[in-house]
Amino acid sequence: MDLFLQQTVNAFALGGTYALLALGLAVVFSIMGLINFAHGELMTISGYVLMYCGLAGLPFAISVALAISAAVVAAVLMERIAFRPVRNASGATMLVTSFAVAMILQVLFQNLISARSQAVLLPQFLSDSIRFGGLIIGINKIGAIVTTVVMLIFLDWFMKHQKAGIAMRASAEDFSVARLMGIRANTVIAGAFALSGLLAGVAAVLWVSQRASVDPLMGFTPVLKAFIAAILGGLGSLRGAVAGGFLLGAIEIYLAAFLPQELQEFRDPIGLCLVVIVLLFRPNGLIPSAALKAEKV
Amino acid sequence: MRKLLLSTTIAATLAALPAVADTLRVGVATAQTGALAYADVPVSVGMHLAVDEINAAGGIGGKVTIELIEKDVRSDAAQTSIATQELVDQGVSVIVLPCDSDPALAAIGVISSAQIPAISTCASSPTLPMIGGEYMFSNFPGDNVQATVSAQWAWDQGHRSAYIIYSPDTQYTTMPLYFAEVFEKLGGAMAGQATNTIGQQDFSAIATTVAALDPQPDVIMTSAYEPDFPSMIKALRAAGVTGQIIGSDGIDSPTTFSLGDVAEGLVFTTAGHPTPGSSLETFNTAYEAARGESPETVFSAVGYDLIKVLEAAVLAVDGSTEPTALRDAIANLENVQGATSLITYKGTDGMPVRQVSLIRVKDGDRELLGQPSPDAALIPAPRMQ
Repeated sequence: MDLFLQQTVNAFALGGTYALLALGLAVVFSIMGLINFAHGELMTISGYVLMYCGLAGLPFAISVALAISAAVVAAVLMERIAFRPVRNASGATMLVTSFAVAMILQVLFQNLISARSQAVLLPQFLSDSIRFGGLIIGINKIGAIVTTVVMLIFLDWFMKHQKAGIAMRASAEDFSVARLMGIRANTVIAGAFALSGLLAGVAAVLWVSQRASVDPLMGFTPVLKAFIAAILGGLGSLRGAVAGGFLLGAIEIYLAAFLPQELQEFRDPIGLCLVVIVLLFRPNGLIPSAALKAEKV
Repeated sequence: MRKLLLSTTIAATLAALPAVADTLRVGVATAQTGALAYADVPVSVGMHLAVDEINAAGGIGGKVTIELIEKDVRSDAAQTSIATQELVDQGVSVIVLPCDSDPALAAIGVISSAQIPAISTCASSPTLPMIGGEYMFSNFPGDNVQATVSAQWAWDQGHRSAYIIYSPDTQYTTMPLYFAEVFEKLGGAMAGQATNTIGQQDFSAIATTVAALDPQPDVIMTSAYEPDFPSMIKALRAAGVTGQIIGSDGIDSPTTFSLGDVAEGLVFTTAGHPTPGSSLETFNTAYEAARGESPETVFSAVGYDLIKVLEAAVLAVDGSTEPTALRDAIANLENVQGATSLITYKGTDGMPVRQVSLIRVKDGDRELLGQPSPDAALIPAPRMQ
């Protein structure tokens, strides 16, 4: 039983990180219809800022704030430079643009920083753990869970009670009508990117605190997981993204923990099969976006 | 008819030219970008250092200068094959392939039919030259040898039970299977095994499973490397696992030494250690003089080794750069002094005999535990994945 509880804590910590990642994709998708595959590179940028701050000897709290701000600024710049010119182009064009942005950034990191992983100096307490009854919980796990909860509460408040958040929700529902109501497209889209940058930055700090290094290709895995979680939850739906993130985390952890050894090699395919099964029953995801007018034949 | 004879003679002379030319043209098809760049980029730096040094002294044996013709294969198997073909078409005498068996294997067809010898920068799977045939060579202590060294050490330390975490994704990450084989041969017991995927971020489920074992395994062995390894060791320690953790050359990287308390006492095998007066120390000094910084990893020295091997091969055939002659020369090299250790190909199938260094992380720095030569009877046969 303890083992199950322990694994459940693991699942929450991992699922929370996935939820933040998927939210970052969903915020932009809900408004622009763009799946931003360069989202992972925002995380890499945060990671490098953490690395340089560590080398400069800045206190961890300041490093984290700078790392998250860097992701926000990078996200807004990304929108301004790469995505605004293709805003009215087809979905495929925007998708390819996002891949191009991701690759260009990766090559820049490799050539300007280093092709090798760079160590990120982290405070020692992040590697500690506390005993909690029969459970042993790592500080970075607690950090991940608490951060996720705080971010979700913040996002909920922002979307419901802040003018910018309400404008985003309106735009997600019907962009043309929202614009007719006087909502500025540029502001909403830039806001959505800033928010996705914030989520990427927070997720990056959690991600990097686990792996203690940053490399040019670091962003690929998280963005892939976020994509799966977002699809699983319902593309474009924020609540769906959270649900998808937690479900994906749970699937991965429980399979790694309880699948028989002979089958462990097939853990990932089995996990993805489970995702497909969920989608067979709920083709638009767990909590589909209200604005998704998908027609299924 | 005379015209034809003349042109044929000219053509024949031209074709024979590379064999008597005073330049060794080395085709380098390695990963300057992508997932393998972490190893191939520092290897390239080491190769250039060696080439500059040799050319500055007038070339190999004072007459054959080395020219590197480089192509980036982007860590991609198909691209490796294409780049290799292009290099063959440019008439190179020898080819350098990426640091992993899988892309290196993709070039086998090309090098075998062109009959040009190829050396992988640092692939350590003993199956590479086995599958690759007589023209494929490796340039690193084999996985099975490294695992024998670490298993023997663990046994000698009194450890009797071991747990392995490996990934079936690449040849290299299956090294723990060799470790288990040797450890059991020595009389140790396997407490279990877990698999991970390369690039896996979260090891908490595996760590919790290991922590729940009763009794705890004495040793946990893995050949995971960055970024997976730091995440794995942090998860294991955070879950309360206290056993000895053993890794392999992939974690010979600054990150490992900056992990703090979690990495204390970690032991791993690697290609060399700069003991005072050693060739590696000399190399590191030369590296610093040339680049203004110390090498980040032993892979640069391994790149230097590779050029020294080629130098020795050219010397062995009196300055010839003819590919098949070079192949035979490489296959018969004995005790070539590289930057990391002495290198011998004679009597092997292309997987060189090289020294393995056993390193322990102590106070965030490296401590040499030894450079043992493993018992040949213990070394497992190469395992086909």
